[in-house]
Amino acid sequence: MIAVIVPAAVGDDNAGMATRFSVPGRRGSQAAPGEARVVRTTDSPNCTGACGWLATVVDDVIVDLKPAADYPCEEYNPRGCLRGMSMTHMIYGPDRVKKPLIRVGERGEGKWKEATWDEALDYIASKMIHIRDTFGPESMLLFNQVVGTGYVQKGAQVRMAALLGMSFATAYDFNGDISMGFTHTMGIDCVECETKSWGHAKTAILWSSNVFQTRIPDAQFLTRVAKQRNNCKIIVIDPRCSQTAKGADLWVPIHPGTDGLLALSMCYVVLENGWVDWEFLRTFTDLTTLVREDNGQRLRASDVGQGTDMEFMVWDESSDQLVKLPTETLLQPKEWRPAFRGARTVIIDGESVKVRPVFEIIEDHVMRDIYKPEHVASQTDVPAATIREIAQDYALSRPSSIIIGMGVNHRLHGDLTIRSILLLSALVGAHGKPGESISIYSGQHHFRLDVSSWWFPNGKRPNGVPMHYFVLGQPTATINPKIKFPKNGFKALFVSHGNPLVTEFSGPLKEAIDQLELFVTIDFSMSPTCEYSDVVLPAPTFWEKQELVGTSCHPYLQIQQAVVSPQYDSRTELWMVQELMRRVAPELFPQVDFTEEEIIDLLLANGGKETDGITFDQLVEGPVRLKVHDPEVGCDEQFLEHKPFPPRAYPFPEGAQREFLKTGRMEFYKEEPIFREIGEAIPIYKPAFEHLPPEDQRLPLSIVTPHSKWRVHSTHSNNRVLLNLNRKPVVEINPIDAMKRGIRDGDAVEIFNHNGSYKLWALLTETIKPGVLCVDHGWWDRYLGGGKYHSVHTHQKVKPTHENYYLPAVYAPGQHWKDTRVEIRKA
Amino acid sequence: MTSVIARHQELDDNPSMARMSMLIDLTRCIGCDACTVACKQENGTPFDVFFARVLNVEAGDYPDVMRLYIPVLCNHCEDPPCLKACPNKAIVKRQDGIVLIDQDRCRGTGACVSACPYGNIILQKSEAWYLNPDEPYERDFVKPRLASGVARKCTYCAHRVDEGLDPACVVACPTTARIFGDLDDSESRISRYIVEEGKTGRVPFKLLPEAGTQPSGMYLGPMSEQDVATLGQAAEPPVAEEVTL
Repeated sequence: MIAVIVPAAVGDDNAGMATRFSVPGRRGSQAAPGEARVVRTTDSPNCTGACGWLATVVDDVIVDLKPAADYPCEEYNPRGCLRGMSMTHMIYGPDRVKKPLIRVGERGEGKWKEATWDEALDYIASKMIHIRDTFGPESMLLFNQVVGTGYVQKGAQVRMAALLGMSFATAYDFNGDISMGFTHTMGIDCVECETKSWGHAKTAILWSSNVFQTRIPDAQFLTRVAKQRNNCKIIVIDPRCSQTAKGADLWVPIHPGTDGLLALSMCYVVLENGWVDWEFLRTFTDLTTLVREDNGQRLRASDVGQGTDMEFMVWDESSDQLVKLPTETLLQPKEWRPAFRGARTVIIDGESVKVRPVFEIIEDHVMRDIYKPEHVASQTDVPAATIREIAQDYALSRPSSIIIGMGVNHRLHGDLTIRSILLLSALVGAHGKPGESISIYSGQHHFRLDVSSWWFPNGKRPNGVPMHYFVLGQPTATINPKIKFPKNGFKALFVSHGNPLVTEFSGPLKEAIDQLELFVTIDFSMSPTCEYSDVVLPAPTFWEKQELVGTSCHPYLQIQQAVVSPQYDSRTELWMVQELMRRVAPELFPQVDFTEEEIIDLLLANGGKETDGITFDQLVEGPVRLKVHDPEVGCDEQFLEHKPFPPRAYPFPEGAQREFLKTGRMEFYKEEPIFREIGEAIPIYKPAFEHLPPEDQRLPLSIVTPHSKWRVHSTHSNNRVLLNLNRKPVVEINPIDAMKRGIRDGDAVEIFNHNGSYKLWALLTETIKPGVLCVDHGWWDRYLGGGKYHSVHTHQKVKPTHENYYLPAVYAPGQHWKDTRVEIRKA
Repeated sequence: MTSVIARHQELDDNPSMARMSMLIDLTRCIGCDACTVACKQENGTPFDVFFARVLNVEAGDYPDVMRLYIPVLCNHCEDPPCLKACPNKAIVKRQDGIVLIDQDRCRGTGACVSACPYGNIILQKSEAWYLNPDEPYERDFVKPRLASGVARKCTYCAHRVDEGLDPACVVACPTTARIFGDLDDSESRISRYIVEEGKTGRVPFKLLPEAGTQPSGMYLGPMSEQDVATLGQAAEPPVAEEVTL
C-alpha cells in the first residue's frame, strides 16, 4: 500500500505540480505531467542514515526527491545526503539488472541468457533439491547484506534458510564491523547512543571516525549543536586530516595502528592524576572482582561455599570479608567498600589461594613506563603534552564522548584497542548521560526490535556459519564447536545485496566459489559479484518495495514504501522466497505465504518492549519513536536502571550472551584460558604489524581504506552523477612519499605487496601523514587502471580469542584489513 | 513558459522591495555536496553542469594543514556584470533581486560567462547525459527542464521561491548551513540569523568584494579553527629496509 500524503494539484500551467516543472530561468515543462503524487518513505542502504524522503511520482517514475524533514524531534530535520538524492540514477541507471540472467559461458565470462522468472527459479530449485538430497541442506549458504536494513525482505530469506535447514552467514562479522572489543567488555558487539546525544558533549573525541563523510545526516549534532551551541571541544585522532578534522578544534595525526597505546597512555594520565570515578567502577565494572593466583580464574561464590559458579566475590573493606556481588542488579549495599587494591588469601578446598582485585592487576600493568606519555609520544607521534591534554579534557571537561571508527576496529588487535578505550571511559565513568558514551556506528546491523517471530519459524534458526570459514574452505583448528561446518562442504551460495567480490578477500573468495555447484546473486545492480554468478535475480531497489526500517543512529521506526512498482522485471525478495519454497519444499509454502503488511504487523506485535503499542497505521503517518529513553545514551538499561550487562542482542533470547560476560559487569579481565595464553587477559598494547610475515613488515607504507561520502560500501560505485563529481579512484599520498618515488599528482600508479596489486591514480595531498596511503573503500574493479581492488589486503585469518564462543554477529570473528603494508610505484 | 517575464513584470507593477539572499554558515558546512546533488536533482542539469558546487580547499603543508569547504553558486549580484554584458538583453534582475537568464532570449554568445567574476555561469556547446537515452526518467522529466545551447546558472530556485519554498539546496542541506530569505524583511530567517550571530561577533562576508558586483550571497566564518598536535614524524615501517618486489 502507498500513503499519498501530499496531494499535488494538476492542471493549468501555473498551478501545483505544473508550476514546479515550468521554471523561470529554464524551459517550461514539455512533457505534460500526468497525475503527480508525493509519497513519504525512507531509504535503507546500510549507511545507518535511514533518512525520510518525500518522493514525487508521475506515471510510476520518481521525478523528485526531497528530505521529508518530518521527524517529531525537530533536531533530526532534515536528514538526507548526496547518495540518497541521486538514487534516481541508480534506480534508472544503465547497470540495473532488468531480467533474470542465467550464465551460459564460464563463470565471469559475461555470457548470459535472459530468462523468464519461471526458467530461472526452476533452474535454481532443481539444483537446490539435488544439493539438499545429495549433500544435505546445510551445504547451501545464504549471505545477505545487511540484514538490519530489511527486517521483512531480507528476513524472508533468513526464514527460508531456517525452514530448509540451510547455512546462514551473517554479514556483520565478515564485514569486519563486529567490534569484539565491545563484546569482550560489554557482552554486545557494539554500543551506540542516538546521535542527538552527541549535541550535549563538551568534549568529543572522534577516534578514526569520519562522521562528516560517513554520518552526513547526523554530523550537524557535532557542528551545529555541540560546537556552536555548546562550545564543545572536538578532537580528531586520525593519520589523515580527515574531512571531519575540518570541524575539529584539534587534529592528532597518530601513527597508524598505535591507537591502543595512546588509549592506555591516557589511562596512565587518568590514574596518575586520580581522576577516577570509583563509584562507577564498583557499580558497573568487574574491577573489584578477585582473580585467583593459582589458576587465573575469577573467584566464584562456589569456590568459597557461598553460592554458584555464576556468582562472584569481592572483598568488602568495611566488614573485612568476602561478599557476593548481586546478580539481579548492579547496585550494591551502600555500606560496602569493595577493595580495588590489595592481595588477600582465601581458603579454597582447604588450600590457601592468593586473590587480587582486577583493578590492581590492571593498574600494575598500566602504571609502567611503557605507557608514560613521554615514552609513548615517539611511538604514536603524539606529543606527551597532548596526551595529557586530551586525557584531561576527556576526564574533566564533561560530558565527554568518544566515537570510534573502523580504522581502529579493522585490525587484528583492534579488540585490544577498543578494550583499552573502554577502560579509559570506565575509569572516568563517562557513560550513561546525554553526551557521554563510547559509540561505534558500524553499520545498520543493529536490530531495534526482536525479529524472531518472522525470521525464525517456531524458533527454528538456520545453521550459523561465519563467512570466514567459507573463504578458508575449511574450519580452523580452533573453531568453536557450536559452529557446524557442513560435513560435505559448501555446494551452493546465495548472495543477496552483497558484493563480496570487491571486498578484501575477493581472490580467496573466488577460489571458494569455484568449488560450488550453484552461485546465485540477488541485486538491483550488475555488480562484479553478479558478473561471476551462475544466476542473477533482479531485485527492486528500496524505493520499490515495502519494508520496516530501524537504525542505530536515531530511534525512529519507519515504513519504507513501494514508491513505484518493482521496476523492469524485478521482484521483491519475499516473492522470490515464496516462489522458491513452492518449488523446493511445497509443504512449507504456507510458512512464507504472508504479505508485507502482515509481516510488519507480526514484527510490531512481537518486537519486544521497544515496539509496544506501535502500529502499522501510525507508521504510515510518519516516523514513530521506539519506546526507548530520550535521548538514548547507550546501554540505557544498565547505566540508568542498573540491570546487569549485557544488553540483549536481538534477535537472540535473553541470556544468550551470558556465557561470555559471566559477571554481568563490564569485564576488563577475561579469564578464558586462550586470553591468558596469548597475553590478552587484560587490555594491553600489541604492535599492529608484528603478526605479519617479516617480508610484509619490511614494506614501507601503511594503507588506510576509509569509507567516503561517494558510496555506501560499494553501492553507488556506478552512480553516474556521483562519478561526475568523483571521477576515478585515487590514492592519497603525501608529496614527500611521492617525490621519493618520482610520482606526480595525477600519475597512474600501482599499489603492490606480496598479496597482490592494483593500479589507480595518485592524488598528492598535504592532508595525509607521510608513510601512509589512503584509498577509498568500495571501488568496483572496472574503474581501476588494472588489477584487483584490495587484493593487497591481508589474507583471511581468525583470532582465536574470537572463537571462544559463538553467537552470530555478536561473538564471532572480526577482520584485520588495515594491518596491511604496501609499496607504491609509477605504473 | 515565460513565467519568468510574467513574474518579472508582476513584480515591476507591484514593487515589493524584497532582497532575496543566501547566507552560508561555513562553520556548519561539512562539505558533503548534498547541495550540489540537490541542485542537480531539482534543475536537471546535464553532465559536468553544476549550478551549486563546493570548493574543497587544502590550506598549508603537512602537518600544518587545514581542510576548508566553500560552497559556491550564483551570487545574484546587486550590480550583475552578466546582465550588462549580455548583447541580447536575456538577463533580468527581478525586483526581489533574483538574477535570471531568459532561456528563450539567450543566443549563447557567452558574454555573461566571461563577465561573471565567480565563474558561476555555464555555457556548453554540446551536452552529455547520465542515463540511457530511452530512460523515461531522464528523457521525459529531466532533459526538458533546461534549454540546450544557452547560458545557464543557478536561479535561487525561483520557481520554488515563487511558491514560498526555499531553494532545493537549502532544504537538502543536512547541517542547515544554508539560510535563505529576504534581507529587507527583518523577521525573515536570514535577517534574524545575521542579528543573532552578530551578537557573537560573527559578521557576514562576501566573495570578491573588490569586483564591485555587490553579491547577494554571503558567508559566515570561521571556516575552520582546527589546530594540530604532532611530533611531525613520518609513519615508519616496523622494520625499515629497502624493498623490491
